[in-house]
Amino acid sequence: MGPLIPNGIIPADWDSIIAILIGLVFGFVLEASGFSSSRKLAGVFYGYDFAVLKVFFTAALVALIGLYYMDYLGYADINLMYVHPTYLWGAIIGGAIMGVGFVAGGFCPGTSICAVAIGKVDAIVYVIGIMIGVLIFSELFFLFQPLYEGSFMGNITLMDSFGINPYWFIFIFTILAIGIFALSDKIRSKVKKVFY
Amino acid sequence: MVKKKVAKFLALRYKILALIFIILAGGLVLLPKYKKHEGIKPEELLNNVINPERYISTDALAHKIISKDPSILLVDVRSEEDYNNYTISNALNIPFSKLLNEENEIYLNQDQYDLVFFSNDNFYADQAWILCNRLGYKNIKVLEGGINQWFLTILNPPVPTENMAAIDFEQYNFRKAASMHFGVAYPEQTKEVKEPEVKAVPKKVVTIEKKKEVPTEGGC
Repeated sequence: MGPLIPNGIIPADWDSIIAILIGLVFGFVLEASGFSSSRKLAGVFYGYDFAVLKVFFTAALVALIGLYYMDYLGYADINLMYVHPTYLWGAIIGGAIMGVGFVAGGFCPGTSICAVAIGKVDAIVYVIGIMIGVLIFSELFFLFQPLYEGSFMGNITLMDSFGINPYWFIFIFTILAIGIFALSDKIRSKVKKVFY
Repeated sequence: MVKKKVAKFLALRYKILALIFIILAGGLVLLPKYKKHEGIKPEELLNNVINPERYISTDALAHKIISKDPSILLVDVRSEEDYNNYTISNALNIPFSKLLNEENEIYLNQDQYDLVFFSNDNFYADQAWILCNRLGYKNIKVLEGGINQWFLTILNPPVPTENMAAIDFEQYNFRKAASMHFGVAYPEQTKEVKEPEVKAVPKKVVTIEKKKEVPTEGGC
């Protein structure tokens, strides 16, 4: 049956409308759970709040386990799912830059928009910074192009690159995630409490 | 009392959630695996099978061949021996036993041509059609009745009787013309052209009378 759009159950023309609806809900949930606070987000790096880590790991796990159950039961075909293409060095360097921006500014791009919506000045400055970055990147694209398009590895997943059974991978990944959650709780109890 | 119990339970909520995760992930590992269905879905295949549009009639095929339709590709699924014996012109030979060989995929899995499968009857052609359809190959048709029907309708069309409709005569004329195209000779086509007989005209005897010699007469 699924995925719904590639199988034509929902026409592809609805793409943007569905994206807007999901975006609205995502933004609302981010804001409601306090993700529009740069102090909460930066807490991951200082060790006083691991909400970001827990939330995104849990979201990945729920989606992963849920999708594989749906695939097993025949409700969704995992082979038809979109897999983002990997440009290895582009991803590594881009990730590092994004990480520096994250710890320096206290937002990731999504949460910064969320914080702009509730009128935070630091977020407004952050978004202007993003725009300047976008401008520089597009103007100097000829310089970045070899990095941007190089070391292309196709639409691969971790299962493809490690060549292991996806079910075992999910199981190991789950154990790992829960271990990380426990560890982060331990670190948090040791770090001096920060009021924010 | 109840509140205390609830509070005690809620203190464990993260551990319970973590346990649920582990159970669900472990479930995926332990579930019995089954081979996944490849190709199109059974319902879709059934729909295609009962759709009469998968057949092409011998008349339609003859018309396409004669008008040199470039979109059709004929595939003879009979054995190589039969193929060498007789086949429809320009047909490709992919014996049924070699249908799913890798080297044949390039002909079968494409969307440039309308493939037409045929065998002696539709029997093997139908089986080949089902196999290819199940794999999701497109634009495949089966010649209705196969070579036998081809022989009965195109190469050797039955002569309509006098009490049949005009349309039958038209069809007969088409089939006859088509069979001539495919090299069938008809007696009336090979009728000897008789040369008009030349009647022997009795010879007239023309007697040539000798001129009487006239004695020279006088003169100036």
